[in-house]
Amino acid sequence: MARVAREMVERAGINVDELVELLVKNAAAELTTYYYYTILRVNLIGLEGEGLKQIAEAARIEDRNHFEALVPRIYELGGKLPDDMKAFHDMSACPPANLPADPTDVKAMLKVLVEAERCAVRGYTHICNLTAGKDHRTYQLAAAILNEEIEHESWFSEFLGEGPSGHFMREGGVTSPFVSRYLP
Amino acid sequence: MRRFTREELRQYDGREGRPSYVACNGRVYDVSDSFLWRDGVHQVTHRAGTDLTEALRIAPHGEELLERFPVVGVIVDSA
Repeated sequence: MARVAREMVERAGINVDELVELLVKNAAAELTTYYYYTILRVNLIGLEGEGLKQIAEAARIEDRNHFEALVPRIYELGGKLPDDMKAFHDMSACPPANLPADPTDVKAMLKVLVEAERCAVRGYTHICNLTAGKDHRTYQLAAAILNEEIEHESWFSEFLGEGPSGHFMREGGVTSPFVSRYLP
Repeated sequence: MRRFTREELRQYDGREGRPSYVACNGRVYDVSDSFLWRDGVHQVTHRAGTDLTEALRIAPHGEELLERFPVVGVIVDSA
């Protein structure tokens, strides 16, 4: 634990135990989403599905990166990950991104993906709102993750016909343009 | 439509198997079936059995997400 760093956050008026719980729940959401996106990705097949596979893969890898980036901050603030993986799964801040009943229904797949990203966007906005001007390190980390979650949402939203995302998909195997500097 | 005082609303806190009800802008919603309200807690900082009207003003979403859940009553200031 970074004792003084935690103390600074407490003195700024943040309930650090609640913040740590939020970070753990969001770390659980990231790792479980990484798992569920693995299943979604392998089922994105055929003429329509193949067009989405690479973009779902980018979101999957970046969600795993978000988990990796959150863990050091949890421990710095005196928190820990649960010993039990099942308990960790069950405390996720977002619902499971389950494979739709008909895995060949690409629109249903996209709805699962976009809802997962929207849950994340709301969650990190909440953390940014709580920490802005008070816990600079958590704020910067949450804002970096939020930037990527917003991009994921806009990618899937574009495929659902809700309008252009405004940017290109990741190229050249590069992932996490915002979060990579927080990775261990 | 059932009328809830704030005291009555507090009993629906989602703990020990009790339903999770929350109020917003005078309406009382049953969020018991929501994944995001397990055990009567939402995003660590919000509790079932309370009026969330003020909290929603600075939340990352509006009442539209609550509108996905059944309205079970209205808030009254006294019984």
